[in-house]
Amino acid sequence: MSSPAGAALAELSARVTDTLARLTQLRTVEVGCSPKRAVFSVGKTTLYEYLPLPGVPPRAAPPLLLCFALVNRPYVLDLAPDRSLVRRLLEAGLPVYLIDWGTPDDADRHLELNDYVEAHLGGCVAHLLGESGRDSLDLIGVCQGGVLSLCYGALHPGRIRRLVTLTTPVDFHTADNLLSRWVRGLDTKLLAECGNVPGEVLNALFLSLSPLRLAQEKYVRLLTGRPQQRELEDFVRMERWIFDTPPQAAAALAQFVRWFYQENAFINRSLRLGGRAVDLRRIRAPLLNLYARHDHIVPAAACAPLGSYVGSTRQRSHEVATGHIGMYVSRAARTEIPSLIVGWLTGA
Amino acid sequence: MESPFGGGASRPEQLYAASAARFFELLQGLMGGAPAGAPRDWSQLSAPLASQFEQWLKAAQSGGPWFPAGFAPAAASAGAAGGAGFGPLPLGPAAVPRPEAQRSWELLTRLAQLQGQLAVHWSQIARSAAERFVARAGTSAAVPSLEQSLKLYELWVACAEEAYGTVARSEDFSRLQSELANVSAALLVEQRRQAESLVRAFGLPTRNEVDALYGHVKELGRRLAELESRAQPRTRSARSKPRKPRARRRGGAR
Repeated sequence: MSSPAGAALAELSARVTDTLARLTQLRTVEVGCSPKRAVFSVGKTTLYEYLPLPGVPPRAAPPLLLCFALVNRPYVLDLAPDRSLVRRLLEAGLPVYLIDWGTPDDADRHLELNDYVEAHLGGCVAHLLGESGRDSLDLIGVCQGGVLSLCYGALHPGRIRRLVTLTTPVDFHTADNLLSRWVRGLDTKLLAECGNVPGEVLNALFLSLSPLRLAQEKYVRLLTGRPQQRELEDFVRMERWIFDTPPQAAAALAQFVRWFYQENAFINRSLRLGGRAVDLRRIRAPLLNLYARHDHIVPAAACAPLGSYVGSTRQRSHEVATGHIGMYVSRAARTEIPSLIVGWLTGA
Repeated sequence: MESPFGGGASRPEQLYAASAARFFELLQGLMGGAPAGAPRDWSQLSAPLASQFEQWLKAAQSGGPWFPAGFAPAAASAGAAGGAGFGPLPLGPAAVPRPEAQRSWELLTRLAQLQGQLAVHWSQIARSAAERFVARAGTSAAVPSLEQSLKLYELWVACAEEAYGTVARSEDFSRLQSELANVSAALLVEQRRQAESLVRAFGLPTRNEVDALYGHVKELGRRLAELESRAQPRTRSARSKPRKPRARRRGGAR
């Protein structure tokens, strides 16, 4: 190796070593920046109310409920002050509430999707409607939480004033859905029999969708770049979120795989919860459907057709030029997405 | 080699360091010199690239995402049970067939077969990735600069992901993923069944019994909720009915 190339390699090596040393200092980085308080709970699920920001006049708006996925923690919506959908909503004067599903343990392995939709999500909605004295609220469903929100909205259309879905799949059988292909032959009865599924299994599954990019290249990019301290902190925050996957209640996960990934139940109109048909056409609330163009977990094609399956006459679909993670932390997540949501919820 | 699959890396910085080490290993291969004055012949790098990638894939996902992360302990124990098939001679009490041990053994054998099939895919992916890289790397200086090498690294990642994606989308690979999960799950269930027979011998409640109780309690809860919802309107309507005025007793009953 010639001497200039060798010198460049040595310089790069020193840069990587320095970044590694700085990363070591960031093991305890903070996540979840906005003050909140628990206002209701059912089972392991807790409903949080975000405290209004000082100096921001509150709007006379119905409660705005954020319903996140069961497979990840919801603090990604409030990672840091300038990377927080929650904060942008609070800045608009909206009364923001968040469902945290908690960490299911062995006693929760029989929890079914119907329990999550009716007792947990439904319990939170009922609490907020009771407290606010309103008939309906605004609901933002994120990823798998969007699927639960659609189920709830179809079963109780009158309780949703406006609905926003973020990276929410409706068609699970699109050609580019790798996850769906892999679990199509899964024995869901056996899966439920195994007990709760550890978060590590899900992490491994998600990483294996694009292994070299997700488990190698992204680290190489960080280490060989010249990251600012803030960039490093954000990276570690996201790493913490990505790998902070709670175990999944066995019965609910098995049902989710079977009904959605295997039977494509929204599209085939075959879904029943608690003995009641879940028909998306019953959703009449104005719908804003946001999804990512380069999503490797929930492909854009899985989300895009939602509008044609619901009964909402007023609706808008918007494709954001980012990936799945980018929906939470990209530049679009900081400006474009909050502005679209606030506009949708506060517009006439 | 550390990998995030299967919880191999306990600390994030270990993961970063492992990625860096692997990256430098690759980079040194890319920057390695060619014979004096000759342009770089990338085909010479094809075999080591493929081999390195294959090893990483095997280490990262030896049994698909399912097996190493979630169910490995189950398989290990089931392995011990399965191994009992090689144990005592079929004489005396051991002459009685033990269907549970046989079942575990069959599952382990099936798992090994599936892992073998998966290994074929890893080889194919690695080979195809290296071939794509060699075809696209074109010609370059005998010793590429660091910037050129970094570009080559990006090209390598793109080629490797393409090769992986093509195989990962195939029917056979998808079927393997599901089957690996199913066999891993079956092993876990089998292991639990064997543990339960031991627990039963000590008179302790088993998970099946607790599950049955849970089902019973849940059903009772459902019926109670039904009864309450039926009773509520009746109570309300009973309350809203105007009460009949009590008949006044007349006469001198005082």
